[in-house]
Amino acid sequence: MIHVGQAHVPLCDGVSRRSFLQAGATAMGLSLPMALELEAAGAVDPKRQKIKNCITLFLVGSPGHLDTWDMKPDAPADIRGKFKPISTAVPGVQICEHFPRMARMMDQVALIRSLHHNTGASHENGQRWMMTGHDFNAANIQPHMGSVVSRIYGQKTSLPASIVLPAKIGNTGTSTPHGQASGYLGTAHAPFFLGSDPAVKNFKVANLEPPKGQTEFRINSRRNLLKQLDSIQRKTETSSTIQRDTAYSRAFNLLTSPKTRKAFDPSQETDKLRDRYGRNTFGQSCLLARRLIENGSRFVTVNHFDTVFNVTCWDMHANGSSLDNTYLDYERHLCPQFDQAFTALIEDLQERGMLEDTVVTVLSEFGRTPKLNNRGGRDHYPPAWTNFFVGGGVKGGQVIGSTDKIGAAPHDRPVLPPEVVASVYTAMGIDLETTMMPGPGSRPVRFIEADPIQELFG
Amino acid sequence: MDQKFEGTPKSALRLEGRKVTRTDVTNDWGLRLQWQVKRDGKVIATPAARIEADYTHPDKTPGKYEIVLQMWKYVNYRKNKQREFIDSKFIEISNTVSYTI
Repeated sequence: MIHVGQAHVPLCDGVSRRSFLQAGATAMGLSLPMALELEAAGAVDPKRQKIKNCITLFLVGSPGHLDTWDMKPDAPADIRGKFKPISTAVPGVQICEHFPRMARMMDQVALIRSLHHNTGASHENGQRWMMTGHDFNAANIQPHMGSVVSRIYGQKTSLPASIVLPAKIGNTGTSTPHGQASGYLGTAHAPFFLGSDPAVKNFKVANLEPPKGQTEFRINSRRNLLKQLDSIQRKTETSSTIQRDTAYSRAFNLLTSPKTRKAFDPSQETDKLRDRYGRNTFGQSCLLARRLIENGSRFVTVNHFDTVFNVTCWDMHANGSSLDNTYLDYERHLCPQFDQAFTALIEDLQERGMLEDTVVTVLSEFGRTPKLNNRGGRDHYPPAWTNFFVGGGVKGGQVIGSTDKIGAAPHDRPVLPPEVVASVYTAMGIDLETTMMPGPGSRPVRFIEADPIQELFG
Repeated sequence: MDQKFEGTPKSALRLEGRKVTRTDVTNDWGLRLQWQVKRDGKVIATPAARIEADYTHPDKTPGKYEIVLQMWKYVNYRKNKQREFIDSKFIEISNTVSYTI
């Protein structure tokens, strides 16, 4: 067991001997060695430089499509809901009145209004589909998109290739996989989970700096001691522990790297820009996503919430209990918060000349029932929903697919989750025909069985 | 992870005739921003204030008008039996301006 962070990290047999070597750094450090095994696993290919990046904003709980990006103003009141549509920069395309900033940049957005899947209506089903392109169970875990990108492209800098902000998805109802693991690709390609809130006043550097009493000198001393132990025991180690050793070395380097600390520090930005993103957990996570991509990460996922219980989130059941989100939460909190952060991110990427090389996706698990429930909420509804793409060379100002008059099912151009995931990979420059993954038993497998959505690419 | 909203948003209002103009919001929580319009002490409108930095209330009914900028303050999502928030609420983040018709 080793302490790289606040938590104890159990390790495989043969390395627990180092339990007294506590790097004792940060909460985020828990995931550090695993992410840094990437290099040890041979995933780094420095020859690949001009490759596109991805920022995925994952809306946990899932917005109602009829209340956001696929409004049906001519439908009966118990279907069309409370909000009104507004015009956008694209003639004929309307979205919810509570996304006024997004409406102004619709010429850059490609809406997919005909998403659907035919499996279970749990949050986790949708998370698995949209984060991996597969449905699966715990015995056959498929890798997160960021893990696939890590495996194919490797690390560009000392930052992990795939990072999840601000935290991994926790309890969303069932104890089935969420799709945020690396699966058969191994821990070397597991996403790096920040596990901390960049909106907190003292977030900066604190999460990457050693705690009191752990000076850089002490960390370096421990690294040297670790090296000596390694040289003694190297002969008895397995390939797995060798990978981990490299990961620990990289973890030490990260902890003492000023450049890395700076990349994770949103206070490096002006107050005005931080305000533009919104001084909240989601807004500052979006800002941090831009900083991490700018500094060499390839795939950053921002989870808008890590649970659906007892918090304001998109899961609008209005059940009067632990799932009591209503139109008021959408109007006062969720829509404004998303509108502010999402548009700030797009503008910021554009102003820095990064948007062409960064595909931004906004994904969710499913839609919500076309008919309001008897409490004025909407429940889970996988047969139809809307997600979208911006940047990365994707053709904006278009709507792909549509739903019927009440948003109950795709009317034309139905799109399944694997097509969205295949589109992300394609937008990032991955050739789906020629790129294979080492599947179970190390046999080569195609990592997504779907074609990209051609309309996205003009 | 709890949603964190640290600090306090602030803006300043200026009145020219019936048109009120706000400065940029500092320490912006990014939640709903609205003008609260009162006539003779009673709230008569709460239009959105996020996009435009100025607002002219169209109503010319005689009376004393007071306008202030508000932002939603999220404390938690608890609601009462009437489905209204218990702890979260709109707070004033500016000075109040007033005029009389």
